[in-house]
Amino acid sequence: MHISFLMHHAYGVGETVRATFGLADALAARHDVEIVSVLRHRDAPALDLGPRVALRHLVDLREHAPSGDRRDPAHARPARVFPAAEPRFGQYSELTDRRIAEHLRRTEADVVVGTRPGLTVHVARQTRRGPLRVGQEPHCLAVRGRELRLALRGAYPRLDALVTATEADARAHLRRLRLPGVRVAAVPRAVPAPRLAPADGTGRWVVAAGRLTRAKRYDVLVRAFAGVVAARPDWRLRIYGGGPEKPALRALIDELGLYNHVFLMGPAGPLESEWAKGSLAVDPAGREPAGAALAEAMRCGLPVVATDCPYGPGELVEDGVTGRLVPAGQPVALAAALLELIDDDAARARLGAAALAGSARFDPVAVAGRHAALFEELVARRRGNGLRGSLHHARGALIGGAYAVKYATRHTARAAVRGVRTV
Amino acid sequence: MPVDLKADCIADSAGGLTFDLNVPQGTGTTWSAALVLRLRAGADDTGAAEGTDDEVRLPLGPNGPGRLRAVLPSTVALAEGRWHAFADLGDGVDPRRLLPGVNDLRSLVDRRPLAGIGRLGVRIPYATKLGNLALRSWLRGPHAEAGDILVAPEGLTVTGRLYGASPTAGAHAEARARRAGLDPVAVPLTVDGPDFRFTLPFEELAARWRHGSEPWDLWLCPAAEVPPVRIARLLDDVPEKKQVFSYPALSVPAADRELRIGPYYTLDNDLAVRVSGPAGEE
Repeated sequence: MHISFLMHHAYGVGETVRATFGLADALAARHDVEIVSVLRHRDAPALDLGPRVALRHLVDLREHAPSGDRRDPAHARPARVFPAAEPRFGQYSELTDRRIAEHLRRTEADVVVGTRPGLTVHVARQTRRGPLRVGQEPHCLAVRGRELRLALRGAYPRLDALVTATEADARAHLRRLRLPGVRVAAVPRAVPAPRLAPADGTGRWVVAAGRLTRAKRYDVLVRAFAGVVAARPDWRLRIYGGGPEKPALRALIDELGLYNHVFLMGPAGPLESEWAKGSLAVDPAGREPAGAALAEAMRCGLPVVATDCPYGPGELVEDGVTGRLVPAGQPVALAAALLELIDDDAARARLGAAALAGSARFDPVAVAGRHAALFEELVARRRGNGLRGSLHHARGALIGGAYAVKYATRHTARAAVRGVRTV
Repeated sequence: MPVDLKADCIADSAGGLTFDLNVPQGTGTTWSAALVLRLRAGADDTGAAEGTDDEVRLPLGPNGPGRLRAVLPSTVALAEGRWHAFADLGDGVDPRRLLPGVNDLRSLVDRRPLAGIGRLGVRIPYATKLGNLALRSWLRGPHAEAGDILVAPEGLTVTGRLYGASPTAGAHAEARARRAGLDPVAVPLTVDGPDFRFTLPFEELAARWRHGSEPWDLWLCPAAEVPPVRIARLLDDVPEKKQVFSYPALSVPAADRELRIGPYYTLDNDLAVRVSGPAGEE
């Protein structure tokens, strides 16, 4: 098969880039794989992309780019296809609309994959007849606003398949969007094997990593760690990452007198190097789902203490087997779970080994295998019944149409408020 | 365009470093291939004066397909400072800057050498602001390693461990003002084997404050005949402590105003105390 991923900016860094590169490289062992980056700000990709994967861009925003896309007046006008409610809307334009449409009209791929909601809308609406139209959800629907959900309702029924990172998110999509005939499947995000030996678990360090934002609830973790230090002053906590909450967390650490035990490490390079120094991983997130970071910690052999919030950790961590799940927002419960594993070296080693073995399912080869099986099944079904595909797309267009009208009304209203031209 | 060369660094607990380079398969090397470390010229560039070199070449040999390896043993002394890393493939082309790969520094995290060690070498790999691979190096003997620090109304309590010297009667800690013309403030030391502890009261520092932000450096004087030792935090994997090991400052009443006094690590990871006046008053 020829598989084509449509990405926002493949030359940058971030979990989506890393996961997509890992998946693309693994798929490339048996398929033709290309990554099409809508934007290009840099000469070379910041992350390593396997040599078998082709990479190209649609709009070149580099200073010295010969195309002059930066100065193209069409790039100054707002996008119309890319939904206004998408967080990345500000980076899209009439120019990106046009280039993406041209690309999707001409693509020779068998499968076209959109890697974020706005791009999946393009894939659903503009891919020429023939290729499978697939959406891949990097986050979960729950964190998307109402406006965006409405935009997705208008387009997603034309997809052939929607791939979410968790079962819970697959259920949420089925419940909240109307997607008859769209295959909705949960496949975990690809997390490459760490490039160094797993943690040996002999140190006395708890490690957390993520953006320091309010929703991540590192304040709960710092408070919980006061309880840990009271019982086990020989254990310490490292929190990797930067973000707007840093000053508040700094103040909390000083206020609780934890400055010899809790350290704000700042942004790290490859996180695997940091997990390998720890003996226990922790994620206090309240509402936000777990990112690939926790899966990466497990791949480094760390047991995980996480909050049992609706999306993510519950499917990642098996309570008592690969880690502990605790109620969100409760420092006392979090401290108790941490101490339970801190005080029991044997349990920590057992859970760490189980996390290491269990997380092999996140390996790009395993994840690519599941994607390939899904695509192959849908392609075969399409070949078996050529009419069915076009019927499905036509029906999808009808279902989506009703929502699209509703959305368009809102879009226009919203754009008018923002002072944006939509006609 | 030449391919970027990345080096993975693996640290051992003795202070040695192994560099594993990823090179395009089939890259040939000659007998003269080397990983080159060059001391960055700067104000504190005293390496050459001490009789050590400011360029170190480590033989670079094949280590499997597409991999080259060089080793910096703990026994090779690197002058204190920042060293930039280059690869000279021995092909007549100028040495190329190396980029950081994946580091395995776990054995540095809670590094605890034998207290009797004569001279302590510490090398921590890091990425420069421009994203290149560099090493931060310290070479100290004796060395006073700072551990937990407590900031409390009665003063600053520092615990730590002395390497390469034994404290005797009369051992004490000293705060030395960076502003000229001030006598050091000496405080007694509590010693338990190589471990030490002292409390530096804030009053005396506050009494000598004149204006702005006044730093005091902390030293350990183990014995009468031994030169004083700078107190620093070196024995872990964090190349720059200042941001990570951060401590609160306390308000201390002086003659007619409130001063802020708190400990911090300098850019060389030495321990210091800052006495500063009310905000906005210089």
